[in-house]
Amino acid sequence: MKYVIVGAGVAGIQAARAIREQDQTGEILMISADVHVHSRCMLHKFISGERDEAGLDFTERDFFDKYRINWKKGLRVTAVLPDKKEIRLDSGETLSYDKLLLANGADSFIPPVGQLREASNVYGLRNLSDAQAIVKEAETAKRVLVIGSGLVGLDAAYGLIERGKKLTVVEMADRILPVQLDAHAAKAYEDLFEKAGVRFVLERKASEAVCQPDGKIHKVILDNGEEIPCDLIIVAAGVRSSLACLESSGIDCQRGVTVDSCMRTSAADVYAAGDVTALSGIWPNAADQGRIAGKNMCGLTARYTDTYAIKNTINFFGLVTLCVGRIQKEEGDQVYIREDQRQYKRILVKDGRVEGILFQGNIAGAGIWQYLIKNQIDVSGIDKDIFDINYGDFYQVGDRGKYEWAV
Amino acid sequence: MNQCYSCTTCKSADKPLQEFIAGLPMETSHHRVESQSTKCAFGLQGVCCRLCSNGPCRITPESPRGICGASADTIVVRNLLRAVASGSGCYIHVVENTALNVKNTAKTKGQIKGIGTLNRLAALFGIEEEDVHKRAEAVADAVLKDLYLPEYEKMALTEKLAYKPRYDKWKELGLLPGGAKSEVFHGVVKCSTNLNSDPVNMLLDCLKLGISTGIYGLVLTNLLNDVVLGEPEIRFAPVGLRVIDPDYINIMITGHQHSMFTFLQNRLTDQDVKEKARKAGAKGFKLVGCTCVGQDLQLRGAHYTEIFDGHAGNNYTSEAILATGGIDAVISEFNCTLPGIEPICDELKIKQICIDNVAKKANAQLKEFDFENRPAVTEEIIDEILEAYKARRGSVPMNLLKEHGNDATLTGVSETSLKNFLGGTWQPLIDLIVSGDIKGVAGVVGCSNLTAGGHDVLTVDLVKELIARDIIVLTAGCSSGGIENCGLMTKEAAKLAGPKLRAVCEKLGIPPVLNFGPCLAIGRLEIVATELAEALHVDLPELPLVLSAAQWLEEQALADGCYGLALGLPLHLGLPPFVTGSKTAVQVLTQDMKELTGGQVIINSDAKASADILEQIILEKRQGLHI
Amino acid sequence: MKRIIVEYEKCDGCKNCSAACMQAHRKTQGTIYDLDLTDPENESRNFILKDAKGQYKPLFCRHCDDPECVKSCMSGALYKDPESGHVLYDETRCGSCFMCVMNCPFGVLKPDTATKTKVIKCDFCADAGNEPSCVASCPKKAIYVEEV
Repeated sequence: MKYVIVGAGVAGIQAARAIREQDQTGEILMISADVHVHSRCMLHKFISGERDEAGLDFTERDFFDKYRINWKKGLRVTAVLPDKKEIRLDSGETLSYDKLLLANGADSFIPPVGQLREASNVYGLRNLSDAQAIVKEAETAKRVLVIGSGLVGLDAAYGLIERGKKLTVVEMADRILPVQLDAHAAKAYEDLFEKAGVRFVLERKASEAVCQPDGKIHKVILDNGEEIPCDLIIVAAGVRSSLACLESSGIDCQRGVTVDSCMRTSAADVYAAGDVTALSGIWPNAADQGRIAGKNMCGLTARYTDTYAIKNTINFFGLVTLCVGRIQKEEGDQVYIREDQRQYKRILVKDGRVEGILFQGNIAGAGIWQYLIKNQIDVSGIDKDIFDINYGDFYQVGDRGKYEWAV
Repeated sequence: MNQCYSCTTCKSADKPLQEFIAGLPMETSHHRVESQSTKCAFGLQGVCCRLCSNGPCRITPESPRGICGASADTIVVRNLLRAVASGSGCYIHVVENTALNVKNTAKTKGQIKGIGTLNRLAALFGIEEEDVHKRAEAVADAVLKDLYLPEYEKMALTEKLAYKPRYDKWKELGLLPGGAKSEVFHGVVKCSTNLNSDPVNMLLDCLKLGISTGIYGLVLTNLLNDVVLGEPEIRFAPVGLRVIDPDYINIMITGHQHSMFTFLQNRLTDQDVKEKARKAGAKGFKLVGCTCVGQDLQLRGAHYTEIFDGHAGNNYTSEAILATGGIDAVISEFNCTLPGIEPICDELKIKQICIDNVAKKANAQLKEFDFENRPAVTEEIIDEILEAYKARRGSVPMNLLKEHGNDATLTGVSETSLKNFLGGTWQPLIDLIVSGDIKGVAGVVGCSNLTAGGHDVLTVDLVKELIARDIIVLTAGCSSGGIENCGLMTKEAAKLAGPKLRAVCEKLGIPPVLNFGPCLAIGRLEIVATELAEALHVDLPELPLVLSAAQWLEEQALADGCYGLALGLPLHLGLPPFVTGSKTAVQVLTQDMKELTGGQVIINSDAKASADILEQIILEKRQGLHI
Repeated sequence: MKRIIVEYEKCDGCKNCSAACMQAHRKTQGTIYDLDLTDPENESRNFILKDAKGQYKPLFCRHCDDPECVKSCMSGALYKDPESGHVLYDETRCGSCFMCVMNCPFGVLKPDTATKTKVIKCDFCADAGNEPSCVASCPKKAIYVEEV
């Protein structure tokens, strides 16, 4: 059996591990554009200089040897031919497979504003190669503009603070991290970033950007006419699944590759996991998808059921935030707030069920909230301040000392 | 399977005793150490507060203050002050009863055995009475008067008994105590809920309680007892379980108040009572020493050769003494009478009688021994014990340990007998210290416990370390009971001493460890220290003298320890007194105290390391004296 | 693998397990007597929770068969040790994202209080030969180790 995995992100790595655990003899081939296995969640640590390439590796030291995986790195897949069970690479090589996993991720989306897509000093922050290019550009750049203040944009800014750059972050919404936080929690981070010298320009977007003769953009004009001078631009306006190689494959795609709960695509023996599926953009889910795809590729039946993905943790300047579920208040919500010098916690409850939590400053033991939210557990019968609810209220010791949920 | 209760007894420095206890068919405290080995860390550090209904509050990183706001410092020192006040109360109770006994003995023209001590006290107190009984009564009254003073009136005898430089220091620090009973009251009030929260202020109260405890509870109790019970005389005597002679009706005595039962004791050797014993099948009655009151009888043993068999062991030997089967009754009048003896007494049909209701044991008969009714009560007690003897002998198996202990332990050492032994002056001892033949003096005092390495383990190991360094050891308290049963108070123990001390001991025919008797005799050690300081014209903290309560057990020991600190002496403890949760308490006790009184607490549970520290201090003090 | 089994009915809430855990993981040398109980650097890895009725519910890492914390770890710092089966944590690799805290369904994990750079996580007292200090310290025998 020959397994081919495209992509060496967490979905691909977890799939390979799962395959080897099931199939001791099959051939596993991984192909990736990335030349270092790395955790995207730590790219800011590379930009800041806190870690080198090896420090971003999330696998055990001897991963490829241990799992007997052949890894071809620095190569892109240009086409998938399900009928022939072949793939083509940008090296011109054609490879056959028995089972194929598409875990080739997503690409940064650069909006068609001015010449952002053409300029040589505009980067997304998606891969280690992006981070490497940013670091190189930052050697000479003094002023940096970050477009978008989601997690990626702020990661980039956070990394560059360490390099002493003058940073401006432009955000369309009225606050930073608008998807994850409410205004109050966002303000806490705004203050910390501003204290570190970052300037936020909120409720604005870039409207014009022109390349100079050196091929770089040196100023961006906002929708209110304000000019932001810059030597380096990082665009953090979201990602798009990497579907280019599938164009003539006949594999069903929408925003991402369409998969069933076993991570199977519309083509026989072709599976997909991770960002290429556009199911969720977060690490634990991509890891889960990879593992499930791997098992199914070996003939087992495993299903991706824990699909809950509205969850994030944020950690800048040691201020930690956990947000799970819905953040925006809706009609009929009860809002509970607990706030003091060290923490801000907000819980939205509807009909006795927790819809969303936002905990900032203190997330100790907060793992239970994801369980309560995604399983729609009624907490109205618990005679306690809602913030004091803990696993003790659902405590049950089961077989072999495992904890279970008494609900 | 065998008959042993369990094989998990704790270690003892006394190996034959350890084996004996491990082989017993009944449970003792030594068996329970294992099952109580999980100690609450908050309790150990003294940061559990139960002073109000909001509690118990404990200190953790998430909860650095109690609900009321009490910090670790406040909680710890409040708990310490409570313990010290309680411990002081115990000793003041003892001296009160002792003084009352002297008074009553004097009023009824009873025998005054220690005329020398009486005259010494009368001279100190400025009492000039021709009649010996009137003199004794006046001495007792002077003590009682002080004990009953209010807290705001300073006790008069403190100045007369204390060494002048110390008295001046205490006065300067505001540590002179008011009435001793009132000081206990004051301490208890102070550490109640939401009163004092100032750790340093409360630590000063501990010192003040230490002074009233030391001068009255310790020093005066000894001297008052000497007046009516006789003065100690140096001699050799048998110790250990071997002293139990099954041919007699044996009464084990426990507590701290010898004067309470001397009437009974005397009666037991009267012909008619001996006849009763003979009729029951015994040769007569014997008292078997246990705990500090046993040490007291041993100390004055020269006066009681007929009735007193010898000291069998300390508080944590009491269960073993009973388990021999050779004991027919226990008469207890105070601590350290372990509750654990009760089931053993039941099983072996041993009669338990308490003669002071403060120490009433659950299944003992309370026979309050007040002065007027004591003849009648004595007859009742004798008859009860005779009944017990008849009922149990023959039916209860004997499990004697005749080889335990030794036959020639040096005893009878007091500030007077030792000085007389040296020729009526301290000069020979001073000369030996100056010459370096004796490097220094260590008072290894206080209790016995089971947790600092095991029963007497740290105490005995420390004593061995100290004598090997040519430091002479003086002991008082239950520590003495363990040390003597391990043979360190026999002449032969000289060979365990360093070469210089060994030579001194062999020349004088004494052991390197001198036993002053009960914990009360810590007061006698203080008299020795004071007289040495006087002779050298220095204050106490300058002497090459250290104290160790290596295996301190209870609240009285903490009050004693505070006396040691007030005297300005270095005080070693094997286990911390539940204070380490407070940085302030630790700082004050182990560091700042040096500036305050000259004293310091040293906490170390390793014998060798502790001896190293104490030796170093002695060397520094020698240097200070240019010797 | 070995797991700490909990019989919560026996728990008296004395927190001795927590103090023992603090002692076992302190950075300084010393005994339980001088353990600084107020220093967040010494915080415990186990917790005594209380339900609405006031019953104590001891919370100890299960070293799960399929650990959510490991699955969510983006740095490789958390891993299931193939030999012992325990979930171990390599502090040097941790990226301080705290997705493990988010994903532990029982709320066992927390960021360290002092620096918020690492996760407070039971290591089964690996340095003490996998003899957990908490278990040894429980006066009620409410926790004990079993091969599961």
